[in-house]
Amino acid sequence: MEFNKILVPVTGTQADDEATRLACRLTKKNKGKIWAVYVITIKRSLPLDAEIEPEIRKAEGILDHITSVAEEEDYEIETDLLQAREAGPTIVDEAVEREADLILMGVIYKKRFGQFSLGSVVPYVLKNAPCRVILYHQYAT
Amino acid sequence: MVAMGATPIALGIAGILFIFTALTYAEGTAMFPEAGGSASFARHGFNDVAGFTAGWALMLSYIVTISISAFTIPPYLGFFWEPFKESPIIGTVTSMGIVVLLMLINVIGIKQTSVLNVGAAILDITTQVSLVIIGFILLFNPIVLFHRIIDNWPTTENLIFGIALASIAYTGIETMSQMAEETRQPEKKVPKALIMMIVTVLVIFAGISLVSLSAMTPQELASDWARDPVAGIAAHLPIALLCDILKPLIAILAGTILLIATNAGLIGISRLAFSLGSHKLIPVVLSRVHHQFKTPYISIILFSMIALLILTPGFFAANVFENMGALYAFGSLLAFMFAHASILSLRAKKPELARPFKLGWNIRIRGREMPISAIIGLLSTATIWIIILITQPYCRWVGAIWMVVGLIIYYIYRRKAHLPLTHIPKKPGENIL
Repeated sequence: MEFNKILVPVTGTQADDEATRLACRLTKKNKGKIWAVYVITIKRSLPLDAEIEPEIRKAEGILDHITSVAEEEDYEIETDLLQAREAGPTIVDEAVEREADLILMGVIYKKRFGQFSLGSVVPYVLKNAPCRVILYHQYAT
Repeated sequence: MVAMGATPIALGIAGILFIFTALTYAEGTAMFPEAGGSASFARHGFNDVAGFTAGWALMLSYIVTISISAFTIPPYLGFFWEPFKESPIIGTVTSMGIVVLLMLINVIGIKQTSVLNVGAAILDITTQVSLVIIGFILLFNPIVLFHRIIDNWPTTENLIFGIALASIAYTGIETMSQMAEETRQPEKKVPKALIMMIVTVLVIFAGISLVSLSAMTPQELASDWARDPVAGIAAHLPIALLCDILKPLIAILAGTILLIATNAGLIGISRLAFSLGSHKLIPVVLSRVHHQFKTPYISIILFSMIALLILTPGFFAANVFENMGALYAFGSLLAFMFAHASILSLRAKKPELARPFKLGWNIRIRGREMPISAIIGLLSTATIWIIILITQPYCRWVGAIWMVVGLIIYYIYRRKAHLPLTHIPKKPGENIL
């Protein structure tokens, strides 16, 4: 499979690092583009363009880290910080806008009410993505 | 209870005046698709003082919207348990409980599904339209209606007050303006949404008021069914089966819609407060976001407390609904005045600004195109505002105190923050808009 445009949504978990490395290796041959995006979700009691400094600082830190992970793989990626009500639709919209041919998401092991859970964002992206989706599941010992 | 037999006429006149206001908002929102509504227009059209004054007046409207919406839920729930409607203590406690519950939900930031909101709105509109149609078929009597209107014509003062109170029916205009920033193609969608809102509100409310006056005397409407007139129509239907189906349905739907409206008021005021804070019009502490919940918890809690305070007279006073309505009209009409004036000011001072939705029917004044709708809107809202200020002592004093307190807070805040009162100079390279 060849990928020229990969979208990597990051959330600040350990799985993001491996997902980024995988994205770099998948597209290195074609010298494709990789975008790492972080979505700040804004609650409905705030305006959509609300600037929440601690969240912005945290997001910038995560994106800087992802950039350095990519540099270790000798690859240059673009990063983008987005604000939205819901992360899932925003990721899908970004993939459409950038004409991505792959969304690569890192997923950590999560439980909800005692059961393994993918949350709400991953299922939404899987259901609505305009392209292929690869989930990188971080193995938990 | 205010406009009595002239209720449909008051709603109709308010609707016509509202059209002018909606057109003004359509131009303003398309120009500035940001949170803030008329406060944003005033800040751009005049200066920060005007922006604050409009925003502070809007805040009063939002707080009263929260109180009024919560206050009118228990009467509809009275179908299931009579004390909700008959007991002022149980009714007011219930209303306060609803405000507290919504305050907690919004502080925590619990997700609210848009499916419920949209679904409830569609179902409610469908039910009301159906009720209006059924009411016209089974209850409407033009001769009875005519006599009830003529025999119960209000004083001029009450008619004008009724027109002012009818502005509550159009409370969604500011909310729509606040939503513009997260709408795709707001310059197209918002004007369309405003027009749809005008048609929906006019048709439903005019229809309900005409059917209500056919079904009940104004005295009955003003006493037994003052807070749940839609339930009154259903109760008067001559076909028992329809009554049995519609009465509980209306109780549930009306309760749901009013709950959504209360929540919308709370969300609206917290967004407005954040927007005003970010432009340094109110103390930034009101924009503080909870480190865990990521919600503006201070403004949510503060304004919920004020809404509870406004509800307190519900334990004792019979005319609390009327007073709340007058207070709402005070704030909203003042905000609307600022909106009209700001659009006119922007046409005069900044005619070169992009106007994705530009009002037609303009007259030339000193070489500038001025929309007639905004001129009429400004004159009419100002006239009604002045009249209710003169004739309604509750809203005169509470409204005036609210505005004076607000301006004092503004003055002290800007002085302490070493900021000029009228506008903060833009930094080099900063977007003028």
